[in-house]
Amino acid sequence: MPPAKNRRRTPRQVVRGVRRRTRRAAGRLRRAFWRSLQLRVVTSTMVVSMAVVAVLGVFLDQQINTSVLNARLRAATSEAQADRIAVLGFLSQPDGEAAKQSGDSGKSLQNGGDSPLSQATTALANRAGSASRYSVIICNRRLPGACFGTTNVDERSVTEKMRADVVKQDAGKNSLWYGDLYYKDSSEPVPGLVLGARLDTTGAPQVDSDYEIYHLIPLDKEEKTLNAVRQMLVVVGVALVLLLAAIASLVTRQVVTPVRLTRQAAERLAAGRLDERLKVRGEDDLARLAASFNEMAANLALKIHQLEELSQVQRQFVSDVSHELRTPLTTVRMAADLLYDAREDFDPMAARSAELMQNQLERFESMLADLLEISRYDAGAATLDIDSIDIRDVVLRAVADSEALAERHSTRFDLRLPGEPCMAEIDSRRVERILRNLLFNAIEHGEGRDIVVSVGADRDAVAVAVRDHGVGLKPGEENMVFDRFWRADPSRARTIGGTGLGLAISREDAMLHGGWLQAWGMPGEGSQFRLSLPRVAGTELRGSPLPLVPPEVEMRRTWRGQMTPVLTPAAADGGHDAE
Amino acid sequence: MRSRTTRGVRAAGLALVLVCSGTACSVIPTGASRAVAVEDVGRGDPLDPPYARVIAMPPNPEWTPEQVVMGFRAAMASVDDTSYAVARQYLTGAYAKEWNPGSGVTVYQQSTTDDEVEPVDEGDTEVRVTLKGAVIATINDRGLYRPSGGPLDEPFTLVKEGDKGWRISAGPDGLLLSEPDVKRAYRLVDLYFLDSRREGLVIEQVQVPLNPASTFAKAIVERLLEGPSASLQGAVHTAFAPGTGLIDVTTENNRVIVNLRKGVSSDNVAAMSAQLAGTLSGIAGGSSFEVRIQGEPYHSDRPLEIDAQQQLKFDPWMTPGNIRPFYMQDGLLRQLGKDNVGVAVPGEAGGKNGSFTHPAISGHDLRQVAALSRNRDGISVAPLVPDGKWQQWVTGKDLTPPSWDRYHSMWTVSRPSPQTSVVLRHYYDEIKHEVRQFRVAASELNAVDVTALKIARDGVHVAVATRNARGEEEVKIGTVIGTGGGSRIDNLQTVVHSEDKRQIKDIAWKNGKTLYVLTGKSELLEASLTAAPTSQVAYPRLQSITVLDDYLLAGAKDDEDNQQVLYWNATAAKWEPWIRDESGAVTFTAGGPSFPVFPLG
Repeated sequence: MPPAKNRRRTPRQVVRGVRRRTRRAAGRLRRAFWRSLQLRVVTSTMVVSMAVVAVLGVFLDQQINTSVLNARLRAATSEAQADRIAVLGFLSQPDGEAAKQSGDSGKSLQNGGDSPLSQATTALANRAGSASRYSVIICNRRLPGACFGTTNVDERSVTEKMRADVVKQDAGKNSLWYGDLYYKDSSEPVPGLVLGARLDTTGAPQVDSDYEIYHLIPLDKEEKTLNAVRQMLVVVGVALVLLLAAIASLVTRQVVTPVRLTRQAAERLAAGRLDERLKVRGEDDLARLAASFNEMAANLALKIHQLEELSQVQRQFVSDVSHELRTPLTTVRMAADLLYDAREDFDPMAARSAELMQNQLERFESMLADLLEISRYDAGAATLDIDSIDIRDVVLRAVADSEALAERHSTRFDLRLPGEPCMAEIDSRRVERILRNLLFNAIEHGEGRDIVVSVGADRDAVAVAVRDHGVGLKPGEENMVFDRFWRADPSRARTIGGTGLGLAISREDAMLHGGWLQAWGMPGEGSQFRLSLPRVAGTELRGSPLPLVPPEVEMRRTWRGQMTPVLTPAAADGGHDAE
Repeated sequence: MRSRTTRGVRAAGLALVLVCSGTACSVIPTGASRAVAVEDVGRGDPLDPPYARVIAMPPNPEWTPEQVVMGFRAAMASVDDTSYAVARQYLTGAYAKEWNPGSGVTVYQQSTTDDEVEPVDEGDTEVRVTLKGAVIATINDRGLYRPSGGPLDEPFTLVKEGDKGWRISAGPDGLLLSEPDVKRAYRLVDLYFLDSRREGLVIEQVQVPLNPASTFAKAIVERLLEGPSASLQGAVHTAFAPGTGLIDVTTENNRVIVNLRKGVSSDNVAAMSAQLAGTLSGIAGGSSFEVRIQGEPYHSDRPLEIDAQQQLKFDPWMTPGNIRPFYMQDGLLRQLGKDNVGVAVPGEAGGKNGSFTHPAISGHDLRQVAALSRNRDGISVAPLVPDGKWQQWVTGKDLTPPSWDRYHSMWTVSRPSPQTSVVLRHYYDEIKHEVRQFRVAASELNAVDVTALKIARDGVHVAVATRNARGEEEVKIGTVIGTGGGSRIDNLQTVVHSEDKRQIKDIAWKNGKTLYVLTGKSELLEASLTAAPTSQVAYPRLQSITVLDDYLLAGAKDDEDNQQVLYWNATAAKWEPWIRDESGAVTFTAGGPSFPVFPLG
């Protein structure tokens, strides 16, 4: 059932998914934008050039439009003027006397001819040519049969509004409209220009004054031309923007590519590949940058090499000194043992000296052993003796070893072990040594308070945490504790007599197992050390079954974080009291 | 190094500036001498010549009854209102339903007197307006324009319909158009069809109405595809199969494209090309043609291109070209030669003095002359070859002068008794060497005297001059249908009406459309089926005429009966004596040149 539920997602989930994906994509884009100098330069070039091209294009388009249409309008106006004069000439012919009064075609036929208006229209038709130039409509609505047109222009191209305008306008004055022209041979209108005027009959009072003359000029060719120009402008503009972007991309690439190569080289250098070098080409700034980088890399490599050699020499020296010290130390030890065994025969002063010597010799021996051990790690000679063992037994053994010291410091152990066995493939000697070190360390810094030893396990890993309630660690000291011969308070003497190498060796041991040894501490809260080990040797550790920060501290911290500012002091006090 | 680079950049910049200033900076190219064909928009599409048209206007309530009738007449003349919706607004509702504009057109000429209008009183609700004038022609529904006569007296009854003003409640049926209306609304077009053998072209003249919703060329070709009208039915053929639709006629690169829905059979392609070229030649203005089928080239592998003058190539008699006329002199047949000096034709016709008149020359390669004996009782034929002998083909009574047609048959009319005519057609049987005579059925001619019969060069049209019992002489044009014994003359239309004692002396075909008629008073008339006869400049004492296209010759006598052949000089608009004698003189002489004649016609 649950899978079906999962498959059928509610719209809100879908929307949320889409939004999430969009946000992710936007984030990726933003990251890419801010990461790539080239992309930024190209984008800004494109934006700026688009704006410039758009402004220029609109301006050009308007200029061309205006000039083309104005030319057509001027030609049409002069043609209309000439046509009106011609029409007036026809209408005021002496033999058209009767027709002028009636506008009728029939009347004038008394003379066997056509009506003057018809003759005028025929003349205009011949002058105008085909409908693609212009068409004329002459109309006098007060007289019967006084409406003529040329070509196949449809009279509904002249709207009532145009008529009203023309009637209102003074005779002989052009009214002008841009609108749709209709033709009888197609239902699609053609964009066009209509020039309308009333015939000015001031010079010929015998002619009726209600003749309206409309010139209908199709502008489809102009529209086609202007559309072609506009398309051309758009194409050229887009091409220009793309070209500019390409140029910007090319130019930035010339700068960015060496920079990118330098960055990659620096990254590789940082990753330890000290032989990384850049190719130096030319003499420009970028070439000088590459040369300087190479110089720096060479100097760094030299320095690091020197330091490595020095460190090697020092380690070898320590190892050699430890080895060399062993032989005389054995002799000294044998002599000291003799003295110690015979101390009861000495006077108290000498006896005390023998005891002191014995103690310090033991310490010296263990220090030498630790030094040898750590120099073995430095030489990479440490090996594991792996066996499948219950970690609880190892813990119990380590605790048992530490019991005597704990009693001396009046410290008690609080063991928190799981009920079932926690088997792991480990080198028990080394793990026991780690735990012993941790316990000694806890006893030394625990200031007599209880030490909690917890063991945790999950499918992949086991962990042991040792918690003390001593002074704790200052921030930043969590890692320093594992340094060799590091001490929290240099003024404090070593009470237990640790060598100062214990935690360093322990960490090396943990790492040899593929595990972690981590410290947590807070001033006044004590500290906790956690050892996490994989159950199967050689596998990678992904997590620890125990928290690094003790749960009670974590809880307290969360609770404090949720307090309002007003309540914070009280809460802090409360926390303190609880402690 | 750097200075060299800088110099290079500077040189490149200078070169760029020079190139720019040399080319792009001049807006109009000045140096180009390339001839470019620029479409002459102003002249427009030759297929759709400019025209003026009446725009129908609805009636105005303020108009008087007379003005309403005028408005109605203008609305009838509006070609773009094909359903006459505006014209019907002038009619009362009842009459609008009754009125049928499709029943034919009457073309009138208004009389000089005003229309007869009953005086309108304030309270009148009904008034009559009578349109008076003369009928000059009719146009039937197929566009056939036929001149006619008679007075026009058409009453219109108008009633007052309240605020709407006067409306026509009764009037004549059909359309009434004045002559200028017809000139505006129709165009006379020559349609080219095929003769019975599909070898020649026959022209039919029709009036095609202008349709603003289509181009004129399209209207013409559509009309051509509809086939011949009734007057040519049976006599002519067409290359187009029934149902050949037209998609459009357009121009492309100065070539007229005729886009048909389907093609014609392969043996009809040449005929179709000639028909289209001839029909469109009037408006195409010398452009060549191409026929396409549904927008695709006619042949799958190549287009069908047609020359501008294809009809002339198809039918040589369309422009016979430089044919020298024949004439009689001293009873001998002569042919006009160089410098207008006559040369005797070979054979007996040019050598032996026969007593023949009214020669007729055949049109085929083996030229033959047929001539009427002086007492009109026989017709003899002689081939125009060196040993050609006269051979009598016909004997009869009161025969008309012979006429050859393009199919090598010779026509004449015998009048055995007054008011009886028998039309005869003769073929020469080359194998049996005998003349075969057929009687041509011509019911309209049986009971009149036929004084002349001429077959046109298209082989289809025939002109006859007749005299009825009252002595009235008329000229009619008809068509020849069928061959041999199945021949008949039909569809006779009178083109020259009888007029007080006018005699018809001679008739001659100019081409397939126009006939010249010579009257007894030496009047010369140009007649055709589509127009009233018009008088040409006459010359006293013309005896006979012959015409080939614009080459008009006439035989004439002067006051002393001296004879000469006259030539009509159209540029000077006068008759000129034409034939020189051996000394180069152009004079009227006794027994001089007479009876000029061109082959056929």
